[in-house]
Amino acid sequence: MKKKINITGILLIAAFIVFLVLAGRGMEPRDLLITTLRGFSVGSVTFLVAAGFSLIFGLLDVLNLAQGTLYMIGAYIGWTVFVRPDTFIDITPLILFLMAGFALGFLWDYLADKIKLDAKKKKILGWAFVLLSVVLAVLILPRYPIAMWELDNYSQSPISFSYMADQGIRIPVSPAETKGIPAMVALYGSLLLSAVLAFGLALIRYKENRQHSLHWKKWRVFGILIILGTLIMAFNTPLTDWLMNMNTNWLFIIAAVIAVLSGIGLGALMETTMIQPLYSRPVYQLMLTLGLGTIGMQLVKAIWGMPEFVIPKPEMFRGSGAGCPATTIKDVFTNHCSTILILGGRVRVYDEIVLPIVGVVILVLVWLLLKKTRIGMIIRAGVQDSNMVEALGINVRRVFTLVFALGAGLAALGGVLSAPSYGLSVSMGEKFLLNALIALAIGGLTSYPGAALGSLMVGLIQQFMIKYGQIGIPIPFTDIVFKPTPAIIPASTMLLMVIVLLILPNGLLGRQD
Amino acid sequence: MRLTSSNEIILKVQDIQSYIGHYHILENVSFEVPKGSIVALLGRNGAGKTTTLKSIMNLVDVREGQIIFEDQPIQGLSPFEVAQRDIGYVPEHRAIFRDLSVEENLRIAERKKGDFDTKREMIFELFPDLEMFINLRGTALSGGQQQMLAIARALVPQNRLLLIDEPSEGLAPVIIEQLIEVIAKLAKQSTVILVDQNFLVTSKLADYYVIIEEGKSVDHGVMAELINDHAKIHRYLGVA
Repeated sequence: MKKKINITGILLIAAFIVFLVLAGRGMEPRDLLITTLRGFSVGSVTFLVAAGFSLIFGLLDVLNLAQGTLYMIGAYIGWTVFVRPDTFIDITPLILFLMAGFALGFLWDYLADKIKLDAKKKKILGWAFVLLSVVLAVLILPRYPIAMWELDNYSQSPISFSYMADQGIRIPVSPAETKGIPAMVALYGSLLLSAVLAFGLALIRYKENRQHSLHWKKWRVFGILIILGTLIMAFNTPLTDWLMNMNTNWLFIIAAVIAVLSGIGLGALMETTMIQPLYSRPVYQLMLTLGLGTIGMQLVKAIWGMPEFVIPKPEMFRGSGAGCPATTIKDVFTNHCSTILILGGRVRVYDEIVLPIVGVVILVLVWLLLKKTRIGMIIRAGVQDSNMVEALGINVRRVFTLVFALGAGLAALGGVLSAPSYGLSVSMGEKFLLNALIALAIGGLTSYPGAALGSLMVGLIQQFMIKYGQIGIPIPFTDIVFKPTPAIIPASTMLLMVIVLLILPNGLLGRQD
Repeated sequence: MRLTSSNEIILKVQDIQSYIGHYHILENVSFEVPKGSIVALLGRNGAGKTTTLKSIMNLVDVREGQIIFEDQPIQGLSPFEVAQRDIGYVPEHRAIFRDLSVEENLRIAERKKGDFDTKREMIFELFPDLEMFINLRGTALSGGQQQMLAIARALVPQNRLLLIDEPSEGLAPVIIEQLIEVIAKLAKQSTVILVDQNFLVTSKLADYYVIIEEGKSVDHGVMAELINDHAKIHRYLGVA
């Protein structure tokens, strides 16, 4: 039975390829190549969103509809680090200090245990602390100094900064002004705020019979966060100058790393605070992730504005002078050409070569993580029966958080990497969330290789449809040349999904349950 | 409810009441487990034996009562924290991980690195089949082998208490004989609480018994005495 399904799947994929080739009979080899590469590129970005989605759904049974928004936030955070490093340096100590309060979770649990009150009173006290933290937030956060862009002042808007950065020019920015209280006071105030909040939550979540210890090793994370935050604030100006004058290749890598870390952090925060209490209520979870996705979109709109812009490509991929377009791989490295000539066609190095390679690298890395590490083993076991994994003495909830964070991080990576080619917009997340959902339906919802295969097929069919829109599809035995309109492009992926699901209801590589 | 007065008690279950969803499954279960013994939980289908084991692991909602393991209360802890106190759980239907190889199914139970390597010889001496199929997927094994794998998995860490649920279910009589031997051997290293519908299995293995009926522990004592009390067996277990 299983073998038969596999043959059906292979036949379907073969039919898909035959269709693409036959429909493109009139296409020149270089067009075929470039269209295919573009398909790989879109497929690669789709895969980064879909892979996280599939991992999260497989282990946690959560359909994370906020995945598209995490993808978008990754792009916008990457943009901020790349185009406005000063804003990034301003805000980092605040984020680190807000985390530091929660890094003392063991201390709050210990104190919650020491307070001699019954569980109900502890809960009430906990909520009182949460309220107090809100008051502190209102008092402290607006007084924390951050230098930012201005949405309603065109010369200071994200578009202007983007455009000038693309020309290799940095618009001079003035350092952040203090607002009433010294910056360090605001910073340590934020630590107080997060500590009060974390203690409140510890009281609310208090459980009996736990063993508590204040071993020095538990203080390490807190110590690192505080020292790092204080240092970054103290050396704000030299750090900003250093980033501003940095080679854009390195700056882009830093931007990507920060975007991924932010995605991971947001994912972990989402899972621990909001998803966890709803594990027994899947419909609520769906509404929650959908709602968080929408809130995220509105936040992005409020912070970065509606208009679209891009992350400028790093130096490595923007050369256009002598020796470009490149004719050999070596030229790409020596002249940093933005394009390379293959079969007489100009292939964009970053968009059509680097992105697909990154997709393959991530595919392999995550596969290795799943197959070769202990954590991967726990994930594979947990997909089947997380209760049993927990009964073996493994803190499965922590693995849930980790996987959710990893999935969110992958989406953020997709966002920041795609930003130089597909640009940033408030709707970028929706588009790739839809792509990813279709890819997963095609490939099989919980199958990791299925996510890769489905993403590739979605990318290919979209790009081929765009190309057919230009050259038309000759209908056999007639003189008619059918030209797909732009509206057919999204419909084409849906159509592919419908065909696959009609024949294989679990997708190409999905498990029959 | 003391089973014995001389031995050291490793686990004490006191008046627990457990719920699955809205259903009140255990209404009052109490018993004690002497260290180094095998205690059988007996009772008809649906009496609450499996739920009692799950209550110890905190896999169901225990709302009242106390569970004390080695003089420490453990109710309210997460299942992984219970397991980390060195309690091993072999669930009904085995729960072998299908995407993991036999070796991975064992390694996943490690509580510290190297647990499996130190126990490797002991485990494969008890279960020679598992060594042969070490690289196969867990679900490629026969039912009996899967049961052995589930028990072997509980032996990987140094557990001091094993909860074994319906090990003989669905197994051929020859395999059940082997299973009885294995459980008898491993009981030399660890205390065991055993649930099994097959009275042959429990009567051969257990030192003590606890009878659970409609969510309440109603009787307990020494297994050797129960075996001769046909009236009691018939009344509570429906076998004679």
